Amino acid sequence: MTAVSTTPHRTRRLSATPGQIALALAIACFLLFFLVLPVATVLYVAFTEKGTGSFTLVNFYDFARTELFMRSLWNSFYVSAMSVVWASVLALPLAYLTTRFAFRGAALVQTLGFLPLIMPPFVGAVAMQLFFGRNGSINLLLDDWFGFKIGFMEGLNGVIFVQSVHYFPFILINLSAALRNIDRAMEEAAQNLGSSGLRLFRRIVFPLALPGYLAGASLVFVKVFDDLATPLLLNVKDMLAPQAYLRVTSIGIADPMGYVISVVLVVASVLAMWLSALALKGRDYATTQRGGGGLAKRRMTPWEAALGYGVVILILALVLAPHLGLLLLSFATVWSFSPLPDGFTTAHYLRVFGESSLYIKNTLIYASIAGGIDVVLGVAIAYLVLRTKLVGREWLDWAASAALAIPGVVLGIGYLRTYYGITLPDGTPLATLWITIVLALAIRRLPYALRACYAALQQISVSLEEAAENLGATKARTVRRIVVPLMAGGILAGFVTSFSTAAVELSATLMLVQSNSDAPLAYGLYVFMQSAAGRGPGAALGVVAVVLVALCTLLSHLIIERSQKAKGMGH
Amino acid sequence: MNATMPPSVATASVEIEGVNLSYGANHVLKDVDLSIRPGEYFAFLGPSGCGKTTLLRLIAGFNEADTGRVLIGGRDISSLPPWKRDVGMVFQSYALWPHMSVRRNVAFGLEERRLPRAEIERRVSVALDLVGLGHLAERRPSQLSGGQQQRVAVARTIAVEPKVLLLDEPLSNLDAKMRVQVRRELRDLQQRLGLTTIFVTHDQEEANTICDRIAVMNDGVVQQVGTPMELYERPANLFVANFLGTANILAGKMAGSGPGRHFVIDGGIAIPVPAEISVPDGAKLVFRPQHAELREADAAPGDDLALPCIITHREFLGASVRYGVRIGASEAAVDVPFQSGKDLREIGAKATLALSPRSLRWLCG
Amino acid sequence: MITRRIAVAAAFGFSLVAASLAFAQAPSGKVTVVTSFSKDVTDPIKKAFEKAVPGVTLEVQNRNTNAGVKYLEETRANNQVDLFWASAPDAFEVLKGKQLLMQYKPKATGIPDKIGSYPVNDPQGFYFGFAASGYGIMWNERYAKANKLPEPKDWQDLARPAFYDHVSIASPARSGTTHLTVETILQGEGWDKGWRTIKEMAGNFNSITERSFGVPEAVNSGQVGVGIVIDFFAFSAQASGFPVKFVYPTVTTVVPANVGVIANAPNKAAAEAFVEFLLSPAGQEVLLEPGIRRLPINPAVYAKAGADYPNPFTDPRFQKMIGFDVDKSEARTAAVDTLFDQLISFQLDALKGVTKVLHEVDAALAKKPNPQAKALADEARGLIAAMPVSEAQAASPEIKAAFTGGKEKGARQAELESQWASFARDNYAKAKAKAEEALKAAK
Repeated sequence: MTAVSTTPHRTRRLSATPGQIALALAIACFLLFFLVLPVATVLYVAFTEKGTGSFTLVNFYDFARTELFMRSLWNSFYVSAMSVVWASVLALPLAYLTTRFAFRGAALVQTLGFLPLIMPPFVGAVAMQLFFGRNGSINLLLDDWFGFKIGFMEGLNGVIFVQSVHYFPFILINLSAALRNIDRAMEEAAQNLGSSGLRLFRRIVFPLALPGYLAGASLVFVKVFDDLATPLLLNVKDMLAPQAYLRVTSIGIADPMGYVISVVLVVASVLAMWLSALALKGRDYATTQRGGGGLAKRRMTPWEAALGYGVVILILALVLAPHLGLLLLSFATVWSFSPLPDGFTTAHYLRVFGESSLYIKNTLIYASIAGGIDVVLGVAIAYLVLRTKLVGREWLDWAASAALAIPGVVLGIGYLRTYYGITLPDGTPLATLWITIVLALAIRRLPYALRACYAALQQISVSLEEAAENLGATKARTVRRIVVPLMAGGILAGFVTSFSTAAVELSATLMLVQSNSDAPLAYGLYVFMQSAAGRGPGAALGVVAVVLVALCTLLSHLIIERSQKAKGMGH
Repeated sequence: MNATMPPSVATASVEIEGVNLSYGANHVLKDVDLSIRPGEYFAFLGPSGCGKTTLLRLIAGFNEADTGRVLIGGRDISSLPPWKRDVGMVFQSYALWPHMSVRRNVAFGLEERRLPRAEIERRVSVALDLVGLGHLAERRPSQLSGGQQQRVAVARTIAVEPKVLLLDEPLSNLDAKMRVQVRRELRDLQQRLGLTTIFVTHDQEEANTICDRIAVMNDGVVQQVGTPMELYERPANLFVANFLGTANILAGKMAGSGPGRHFVIDGGIAIPVPAEISVPDGAKLVFRPQHAELREADAAPGDDLALPCIITHREFLGASVRYGVRIGASEAAVDVPFQSGKDLREIGAKATLALSPRSLRWLCG
Repeated sequence: MITRRIAVAAAFGFSLVAASLAFAQAPSGKVTVVTSFSKDVTDPIKKAFEKAVPGVTLEVQNRNTNAGVKYLEETRANNQVDLFWASAPDAFEVLKGKQLLMQYKPKATGIPDKIGSYPVNDPQGFYFGFAASGYGIMWNERYAKANKLPEPKDWQDLARPAFYDHVSIASPARSGTTHLTVETILQGEGWDKGWRTIKEMAGNFNSITERSFGVPEAVNSGQVGVGIVIDFFAFSAQASGFPVKFVYPTVTTVVPANVGVIANAPNKAAAEAFVEFLLSPAGQEVLLEPGIRRLPINPAVYAKAGADYPNPFTDPRFQKMIGFDVDKSEARTAAVDTLFDQLISFQLDALKGVTKVLHEVDAALAKKPNPQAKALADEARGLIAAMPVSEAQAASPEIKAAFTGGKEKGARQAELESQWASFARDNYAKAKAKAEEALKAAK
């Protein structure tokens, strides 16, 4: 038996084929026109003097000298780092228990653990406030019974709490995949030498899963660093992303500082991604062995099982509380300063029933096209980076990943600025077509799909492709017949992440939606959540969104499983 | 190799008593009883899927038996978790941790035992010197060749001075030349340490060349235990006969009784059965290709049995020539030492197959 | 400056458009409106409008005020929007300043020039008030009961110790209506006294939200007890069944909600028809619906409203908003908003810290008077109230230029912000020291 392993550093081509060069150029053009140029038209303001518009760096000097900005920078770092820590605390037990033990319901836990990523804007925060806020259900009960309250949602700690719950699935997904790929002998060898329990996890299992963990953790870090919605909804303003947003969208003030902060955000995010890539260098242990089949699944003693299920249920209860709150809210008549709503009604669903079908249709179309674009680009970029020696191929990767750090509103303004002037023959501006929304969504979610495709390709042995070429397949056919089918799981995972998060994206959409008939669900939610009477219907629409996306996710999981089973039988 | 003191070893016996193990409907180990003596180099030999690795993992504690128990040095360890068993195992894939250097890999088990730092360092260098890799201590496993990785895996295991050493197909990831060298090294090491060692393999040559005793397994059942020679000379059943070396197996029936008993090979040729041999029902006639001779068609039989046959094919093996012959309705192989200058027999020619009665066995499946 | 040139061209364009206005055709087709109003407001009006003017469909693009202004700015080169429809007058001022609005003279009659003392329409005719709202105090009854809060009646009440950490407001930089409230207080009480009042109130703030709707949302769900909001937020919450109450203080701000036609509107005729509809009695009556609850600007329409419906034309509280100077307000908009953010929003923790100690001092003094402690506390209050810039400075061209990028070279915006922030930080720290000293003396 030979280990099916791939070393990413193995270089096998000296130059690229014309087809690969053309592909790289096409992707570069796409990124240039739909990411780099629109963003540049907005961010260049950071380098201009107010009033005259001439080039200057004085704005960055001002940034560094302003106490508020430096405090915000520090707060952003602190919150991001702490969110990574807490997200890890939530993700580690779930990932470990479901992959390492014979755990009944592991698939369910994994699916439920994905849900927090699908948090519809506005309503999610309202639901969370109703549960965890200073006068939310939990604090009202605590106050009633014990006479004290816990500031879950107060200040920076509140941001950390909400962000960890929201983004921990990134770590869960990546870490679980990494844990599943560890050769069971790696762990058994350590047990054989006298290691067990936490020490075994700390010294062997976790270090081996580190690449997957780091991939997830860096994603969490960057997302938290760049997220403006959560801090703003919790009224935390001294963080960088909210500062940028407040300034960019303040009316009547022509202030370059908002764009300066955006530049800082982009630089910091790219830096974080680069550091994590650096940390991963030479650590990518492709340890899957044929027949090894991942970590041995240990059976738990009754005590361990009780403890394990207790921990899992506790974590799931915590991270799914916002969704439970949302569900309650969607059926609530009035819910105000009480642990539970005053009464229940289905009226909100009836109200959204008529209009939501349009939103649902639009959302499905937009999110699936965006997800489709993302996986196509993801596979192509991953292939170019990992399998060719094209000069500058990493730049495609960096550029696509940098999209993670572009605030949605900056991208939205950039699209308007770049494409509103360009008109179709009948005079309609290019930017008013709904496809613009799709492109913005695709660009915003590209990093997720890219990481998934990248990881999937990394685990495929180059020799499988060489075998195909040896048997007369051209590179293009090898990709189509060998690489893509083998990557199917990763591609679908990438699609699901892009699709489901695009389905609830608001910030870029809000700038680009031109008419109600083109609007996706998130916009409908936003419209509802502007009035007291819209809270219930908004929550109902939110539930519809979550259920919809969850169903699509589940469906793709089933497809993955089926295709993998079919592959298994084919051997 | 270095002259430093080898690790001191407390050798222990291994007893396996009445072990059964099932995965669902799949009965993987059936009533396994084995007794391995202290300091013995013992092999589990059998085709893939025979349960040999499962049995090894059971000793290490990675599989749990449904019934029966495992004793090491007379102590029942069945209920101990793997990390408390003091049984060293070298994995087929070596399972070297890629995130640690060679030194850290070898030190791991000692660190888990919370030994003093100086002691750990001493024992790591002893173990590495023992396998001749002291100079590569700072390398990462990925920077080593297959043979070197294998030796690190061994050093890592013996550094903790286990009571028993388990080797799971340790040679399967090496090329042919390396295999011969490493199996000799393993044997040398085992003898110097006097360590009870169990070696899992599907390769009879590996088992024969280095092991004191072998348990041949098939379908979850231990077929026979013995020295390589015993197994070869006196296989207990058709499986063992066939699995170890080449065996000619001729089907037939018993005819007559008492001193005049005959075994009639399918096709009509009768062979007298010596009085001291008991032939169970359904048994087949077994003999090794080397134990037969080919003579001229009309040669005098002497004490040997003479069976008329026809040459059907011929393979030149270097030191010998293997002829395929048809005896009645059955096929058999005969190895004839090659003598240069002597003509080979032609295909289609008639000949006489001569067999010493002592080399005949009647075995069941 | 390309945008300038386009703006000039657009200005040229609209004078031609204005000239052709007299020959307007019967309106038809799609008319697009960008609005910050919620569905509850836009849906009934859309329905009534499409019924009143057959053949026209109203296409509603819902954006918050800031995003809407940004959107119109970015898309001006190829404008597809006919109307801008929102509350905040300052947003219209910005659009007007950027020549994004078109002049129009509504034909509707029976609408007074002023509501309270605030002019209903833009004097130059770029945008028109179609409804009014009053600012006031909204609170959650359950919250008030649980926390034993007294019923607030006036702005000063909110500065009392009982309300510490129970009050919420939207940031004036983000909410045009809050800005008007702050400006009203500043103009009514004078620059220094006004800021003192605002800061004393701010010491009790629990949060300063980024969206106007964030405040009523927090009060509705009971996360915050008291909110400073526009009346219709409270009325529509009551209509939805939330346990909230609302009161107009003795001095309230009248906030007109406006509509304006976008320069270069693709469907000008229909846009004008929409303006006329909003100002017509039929359009004004829609405002009385419980889900909308805005105050019509046609006094005659109040005859159809219930007796308890607030009427700014007769209610004396609305008349007290004396001599609101729009020009004065406009000259210092950015400075006031930035001062609020730098002195209050971004220093809220420090400000609350001192306020808490001062509340304790007051409590101690109430039990046992102590002149020395009182003097120290007053000193602390003086430090809190101190402003880094005077009224005249705030409206000076140098400071204005710092925010808008004008020709007068003064300090950059970032430098000003930095100076103001450190001024506040130092003063709050000193005030805290004094207050703690006072507390020691008082005990």
